[in-house]
Amino acid sequence: MSDGRIVVSGLTKQYRTVTAVDDLSFTVEPGRVTGFLGPNGAGKTTSLRMLLDLVVPTSGTATIGGHRYVDLPEPTRVVGAVLEASAAHAGRTGRNHLRANCIAAGLPLSRADEVLELVGLTPAADRKFKGYSLGMRQRLGIAAAMLGDPAVLVLDEPANGLDPEGIRWMRELLRGLAAEGRTVLVSSHLLNEMQALADDVVIVAAGRLVRQGPVADVVSSLSDGDHVEVFTPEPEKLRAALQGLGASVTADGGGSLAVAGVTAAVIGRAAHAADVVLHQLRTEHPDLEEVFLQLTHGKAAIR
Amino acid sequence: MMRLIRAELFKLRTTNTWWLFAVATVVSTTVVLVVNCVNAHALLGTLDQYLTAHSHGNAVADMPPEFLARLTAEWTSGHDVVTQAATIFTSGQLIGVLLACLLGIVLITGEYHHQTATTTFVLTPRRTVVVASKLVTAIFVAALSWVVSTVISLVAGVAFLSNQGYSSQLDHWSVVRAVLLNLAAYALWAVFGIGLGAVIRSQLAATVTATVLYLAGTAAAASFFELINTYVIKHDWVLTAQVIVPSVASAVMVSPAKTFTESPSQWVGAAVLIGYGIAAGPIGMLLLRRRDVA
Ligand SMILES: Nc1ncnc2c1ncn2[C@@H]1O[C@H](COP(=O)(O)OP(=O)(O)OP(=O)(O)O)[C@@H](O)[C@H]1O
Ligand SMILES: [Mg+2]
Repeated sequence: MSDGRIVVSGLTKQYRTVTAVDDLSFTVEPGRVTGFLGPNGAGKTTSLRMLLDLVVPTSGTATIGGHRYVDLPEPTRVVGAVLEASAAHAGRTGRNHLRANCIAAGLPLSRADEVLELVGLTPAADRKFKGYSLGMRQRLGIAAAMLGDPAVLVLDEPANGLDPEGIRWMRELLRGLAAEGRTVLVSSHLLNEMQALADDVVIVAAGRLVRQGPVADVVSSLSDGDHVEVFTPEPEKLRAALQGLGASVTADGGGSLAVAGVTAAVIGRAAHAADVVLHQLRTEHPDLEEVFLQLTHGKAAIR
Repeated sequence: MMRLIRAELFKLRTTNTWWLFAVATVVSTTVVLVVNCVNAHALLGTLDQYLTAHSHGNAVADMPPEFLARLTAEWTSGHDVVTQAATIFTSGQLIGVLLACLLGIVLITGEYHHQTATTTFVLTPRRTVVVASKLVTAIFVAALSWVVSTVISLVAGVAFLSNQGYSSQLDHWSVVRAVLLNLAAYALWAVFGIGLGAVIRSQLAATVTATVLYLAGTAAAASFFELINTYVIKHDWVLTAQVIVPSVASAVMVSPAKTFTESPSQWVGAAVLIGYGIAAGPIGMLLLRRRDVA
């Protein structure tokens, strides 16, 4: 499989009044799933469209394996894309839509049936596109992206409209594809899903890069690690008991304490020793959602 | 490129576009053919018969002199079996070239209307190739529709002529030329359609514009140039200049007889139409190359 590294460098797109993408640079590595995150209007879709040469950048470049997308001799065999606002002719069946793509890309027509099977759309294959549900349309888009067995996948909110089953199916599909050494770049607003799926994240806001790196690094860079949520009818007594154990305790009111610096086991033992009743003891891991909100907070979202 | 043309043809075949197009071709050809045969029957008769047919039961002698003069002029220019044969054999043109134009429009605007432009250009990022294959496809399908309407017109036309006691007239070069130029007209209108679709991306707006321009263009041009001729520039060449309107040019190009009193010769119409075709193709290509697909 050829090197499918995506390199975005100094990418800028100026629309009449907004700078949709502003001097954006990042790289996406093969063999990993990279989440492309950002608030509404951050410039994700515009960036992905520039990567695929659908939108002409004002300045900067975006390359796939060192080539601009237009310069790839057989683009469908290198890159598969699922973008918003891409559809099929309302009066054409899903199967014929895929077959037309096969003909245009020089692939055997049987590929259409194979990818239909892959995305679970075979039962609806001979119905017209206008009768498809949102999730079925999304699946057809994923099927079309898989036609050329591409080394690079670019997906703009592919989970949009998928049912829970479909989301899990897609998670496994993308993880499997990355494990085969392919490059997977996927934009999404589902941060919990992204935390489960992505190896790396690229976070943008207001057209600019905010943070890039492995999920774990990005998450830990901002939060101070785990903390424990405790609920007790005697918060002051527990706070006193935890004094001197190296714990930092914040009272959230109503008997709830947030304790950092010690594990749940240490707190449990201290409570037992001090004869404090506990109603709840829960370890909270820092999550991508919190970090994302902190990182993008205050950045003008919709411009 | 061949792959893309095959894909375009496949796309046409897998929606209802193709049969709507086929039905429209057959029906419009048939209707115009019947009208043309009825006209030819009248014009190929004697002047007296022609005048009587138009007198609506009144005596020919009671006709207003201007009306009489007009009918006589009509009969004189139309009383020629070669002219009538050419008209009958090109019956498909009147609506057929409009259909060819609409086909070109649908090939381009359909990509926007159905939001398939993204898929199409991701599949083939070299847009010039995409537009070129749409041009070839439009010309090819327009040519097919020319074949269908020409076959219908020839079969019915030859039968009509022999019924009237004439030979097929196909040994006259001007008749054969008219039929061949008709093919060129179909192809060129298909090319305009592509250009127009690129300029006006909305399917509805482009379709309406093309239809209005085509159907009303000739009449509007006639009165516009008449006005200029009467009030501004009092030379006959002004009237001849109507040929710069595409629908007038295509009528002039195909018809061996004069389509209007000052009409220039056929090759002028052909040159004008080819000029438009040469302009429309590249304009469409340039527009689609530069435009963001979002
Ligand atoms: N064709 C266009 N003309 C003018 N402005 C545009 C155009 N396309 C996008 N924009 C603007 O560029 C900015 C970025 O839009 P973009 O669609 O890339 O955001 P996004 O990150 O994909 O957002 P979302 O999460 O809502 O999909 C927005 O402010 C948008 O209004
Ligand atoms: Mg978007």
